[in-house]
This record gives sequence, C-alpha cells and structure tokens, in this order.
Amino acid sequence: MAFLIDCPNCGRRNPYEFRFGGECKEAPGPDADLNTWCEYLYFNENMSGFQQEWWYHNMGCGDWVKVRRNTVTHEITED
Amino acid sequence: MATTKKVLQYKEPEKHYDVVIVGGGLHGLATAYYLAKYHGVKRIAVLERRYIGSGGSGRNTEMVRSNKRAHETLPFYKDSLAMWDDLSAELDWNLMVQKKGIIALAHSDGELASMRMQSDSQRRAGIKIDMLDNQQIKKMVPSLDVSDQTALPVLGAQFHPEGGTVHHDAAVWGFAKSAARCGVDICVGIEVVGFNVEGSKVTGVQTNIGDINANKVHVAVGGYSSEIARMLGVKFPVVTMPMQVMTTNIMAPFLNYYVASPRLHWYTQQTLKGDLILGGQLDPFSSWNSYTTWEECSERVATILEYFPDLAHARVVRSWSGLCDCTGDSAPVMGPSGIDGLSLDIAWGYYGFKATPACGKYSAEYIATNKVPENIKAFSLDRFFNRQRVREVIL
Repeated sequence: MAFLIDCPNCGRRNPYEFRFGGECKEAPGPDADLNTWCEYLYFNENMSGFQQEWWYHNMGCGDWVKVRRNTVTHEITED
Repeated sequence: MATTKKVLQYKEPEKHYDVVIVGGGLHGLATAYYLAKYHGVKRIAVLERRYIGSGGSGRNTEMVRSNKRAHETLPFYKDSLAMWDDLSAELDWNLMVQKKGIIALAHSDGELASMRMQSDSQRRAGIKIDMLDNQQIKKMVPSLDVSDQTALPVLGAQFHPEGGTVHHDAAVWGFAKSAARCGVDICVGIEVVGFNVEGSKVTGVQTNIGDINANKVHVAVGGYSSEIARMLGVKFPVVTMPMQVMTTNIMAPFLNYYVASPRLHWYTQQTLKGDLILGGQLDPFSSWNSYTTWEECSERVATILEYFPDLAHARVVRSWSGLCDCTGDSAPVMGPSGIDGLSLDIAWGYYGFKATPACGKYSAEYIATNKVPENIKAFSLDRFFNRQRVREVIL
C-alpha cells in the first residue's frame, strides 16, 4: 500500500499523518436549488482510478492539500 | 461418506432472461433463490465476473446481529437475524449458525448512556438486549481485563444474546446450490460492462460476451456499486473503503462470546476451529484495493492486547480486506433506481452480511411485485433528497 503524500510545507509524508477529506467537488452557487445541494453533499463520483482529493495535514502543518491519487494503485501524480 | 455428486453446475448465459442479477455475492444469490422459490420466476441469471462470493461475502467477519439503533431499520435486521435460524434446514446445507451472543464494551459514561438508549429502542422493536456490569462481564469472559488498569477502563457492556456467527462461505454455497436447484443460471466469468436502456426502461445488460436481454435487472455488486453508477451515468451516495480483518493461530477454546469495543474499533471472536478473528474499523481513506496494512494490523493488535493481555503469545497468521461502499447515514440503498426495471441493493458498507436473508427476501418481493415492501421503505435512494436520512449510529 505504501504511498507518500507530497505536502508543500512538510515534504513527502506518511498518509496516516493526514485526515482524508474526500474527493474534490464543485460547490453549487448560492442560488442553487435544494436537490443540487443534496447531490453535492451526499453523492460521490467515488472513482476507481485517478481522482482529485483533499487531504488535511493534521499531524503536520495543518494545511489542506490537493492530491491526485489513483484509488486502486495508490499512485500519486502531478495534475 | 463424502459425496461425489457435483454441488453446483455453472451455466453459459442465454440471450434472454426475465431477471438478470448483477453480482454473484450473497445478496445476489439470495435474491435469485427467493425469486425462484417463492415468486415462481422461471428464467433468472446471476452474472458474476470472478467467482461466487469473491467480494465482501467471503471477506467479512461472519458476525450476525440486529443491535442497530434507528427505529426504521430495526424490524428489518430483526427479521434477518431470525431467518438465519431456519436457513440451514431450508437450504439443506449446514451454515454453522452459532448464536453465541455479542458483548459490546463501553468505556465512558456517555457511551453507557448511549447504549442504554439504544437498548431501549431495540427492546421496543422486540429484540432481546441486556446491559451488563463489570462483574457480569468478568464472569462471562474471564480473560478480559475489566480492571481500571487499562488505557480506557471498561465501565459496562451491552449484551445481545441472539447475535453470533454464521459461516460465510457455507452461506454462499448454500444459497448458490439451492438457487441452481430452483432453475437459476449461475454464470461466472461474465462481467457486465454496460446497460441497455430504452427511454426510461432497462432492456438488458452488455457483457464481455455480448448483450443479454432482460425484463428486469437487479444490481447487487457490493463495494463496487460506483462502477455500475458510471455505466448508468449517475452517482451513488457512497464512498468505497476497505475493511481489514486478521486471524491468529489456533488456540484452545477460551472465548465463548463475540466481544467488541465500538469506541476503540475492535472486535474479536474465537471460531469453532479455534483461531481468533480480529476486526476493526474501515481504512481512514477511500480505496478500491483490498490490501492489508501494517498500520491497521499494529493498531488493532495493540488495542486488543490491552484488554486481552493473555493473548501476548498469539500470532497473526493471515489478513485480508474487503471493499465497503459506505453511505453517510450507515444505511443501505434498496429498491427503485429511477430507471424502470432496474432495482438496487447497494451501499451495504460493512453490515451487508448479517442482512443477507432479509435482503434476498425483500429484494425478491420488490422485483416480483414492483411494490416496495414496508421494511425496506426507509432505504430508498430518494431519502437523500427528501431529508429523510436514516438516523443510524455507527456500530
């Protein structure tokens, strides 16, 4: 499983130092209807492959980091 | 005397079926069995891309229980737990049902209060449940450290006497064999790669060996549900995460109950064979890889050793993991999908195994009658839009 997350402040670190923040989603606009908000909150692409996701470095710098990770192989690439 | 007769004959799929079930796990096989046996549906196919029971069905920790919390879902789980009792006789296959009882430990006053509240809603639904104090726990599980010397001392427990274990591989083969005897075609090595939808009605599935037409299609793919969502061009309210499980070497019998600590995320039981099964929590990030990790193993072993110090000599000999597609409200999605003829049985997270019989029964009832049975109404996909999410607590 071994993979490291590249934190811009702390360098390459063990993923267990981070809190997983889920896949990156586009937030609906302020005038979006309720169904759009429900879909944004609860529904996920849940990709089996590369996805853009948020990681929070809670045992490090305390910053949110955007990572592109393959959820099957755990390979991490630059955009 | 061992039988020389083949238990199950796999079939090549035909071109047309009344019902096609995607996924040859426990839920798919059970649904096929109940459809054929109780609803008289003649032409049913179960399509499995690997081998039957290869996903969560054969990777869980064999626990069956009904100590959930939400009042909408308790009758469903109660039904399921009761159905296991008669299944060995009905399927003519020994499922090794052993209702040994589950002890869930509490480590704080808040947890005790929450367990009492949960016990009350369970009693109201007719589920047997008791609260235990430390003296009673010590008597039932002498090897458990209930003193105040542990990291988070045990303050009490909830006892669920009807909970226990069922052998999962036996359940897979029992349902598969009985379904096949009722005329269901079980096809392995057939991967569904798409759906044929005309207007708003499903007309069949596309597979690696060509199209198969069907009046109705049922999706029971376990942790892989979002792959189905992508074929349909929709999203499901799930995130897929692995759950890791370990077993130890075989020991003399010393543990008669299933012991769990919801707070510290561990549970353990001694199987009939004598090895301990150790389980815990989901991995803390989404993954579609059924790996096992040092981090999970070491954390699980350390927390269990804290309460079972005598296990210091035991060794972890095997570990595996299975994929769980989890919703935010710890409840599954069953019933209509929004496309005519396509029904869902997904998002079962880590609580799908114990629900198998009820799942098969109610899914079959829905497919056969097109009416959503009362006990699974709370599990609709619409609940995420109607602000009717199930008020389940995680346990």
